[in-house]
Amino acid sequence: MNSKQKYIILLALILIAVVLVWWLASGGEILSKDGIWVEQEISELDKALGLEPQKVYQEKFILGLLPHTAVISGVIVAISAILFFIFKSKKTKEKK
Amino acid sequence: MNTIIKTFILLLAAVSMSFAQGFKVKATGEQTFNFEDKRNQVKFFSTTPLEDITGISNDVKGKVTLNVADIKSMKGSITISVASIKTAIDLRDEHLRSENWLNADKYPEITFSIKKVGDVKVAADNKLDVKVTGDFTVHGVTKETVADVTLTYLDASEQTKQFAPGDLLGVQAKFNIALSDFEVENMVVGQKVADEIEITATLRGSNAK
Repeated sequence: MNSKQKYIILLALILIAVVLVWWLASGGEILSKDGIWVEQEISELDKALGLEPQKVYQEKFILGLLPHTAVISGVIVAISAILFFIFKSKKTKEKK
Repeated sequence: MNTIIKTFILLLAAVSMSFAQGFKVKATGEQTFNFEDKRNQVKFFSTTPLEDITGISNDVKGKVTLNVADIKSMKGSITISVASIKTAIDLRDEHLRSENWLNADKYPEITFSIKKVGDVKVAADNKLDVKVTGDFTVHGVTKETVADVTLTYLDASEQTKQFAPGDLLGVQAKFNIALSDFEVENMVVGQKVADEIEITATLRGSNAK
């Protein structure tokens, strides 16, 4: 393994780690979501009516592990693999 | 002889009246509550190792009639539209409405029709915990289901006017169903949806005409 190949592997691992951190920071959901449910504060009237707090829908994109993070990571791995073998070939040719 | 029979019937009626359990509120007699309000909510919850899914509908319709002094007299039904259920993923909502799942075009509504009220526990003068047996219909299939329900009666006041005129009835209900009982094939999204679904209804009804 030459130094360029090492850099490719290192860069790919850093990029995948960034994507995973992004996914965790987005909420760590398995699937990407178009919205979230937010629990409403219960009113005095609802308390008197013996009701539980309700949820309201809010539009908000949340990055999911599937498909987004997995696809991005897959693309990074694919590009890295191609570059890895290109640099390996060049080294072999140079040796010849 | 006639006097004995009449006395017996009167005694029987008196005994049955003494067992009637209901609300001790200002209102009396038969009351009908309308639950058609966008603030009412029915929630569906599925949990699997892969994901918890919450589906919510705010498109609730229905009426319930009850005798204030005898909760066992309660009759009526609550309906939601399948198309109104949101799960926070637009694509999943489409799957839910599709022919492979709830088939919203063919079976546009989910309904709970009350058949019987039992196991009445008085939590307060205006609050009763009951078990409501009803026909639950989804995907064109009807099954008898028992729901744990808490009913709270509020006489009309300045506070209740915040929601609607008239007396209010709060309904907090919970029951479980198995999708397989209703011929809903759990095949499109595999194991992401549990067979057992917990259903919770949070409803406020008004008897204003």
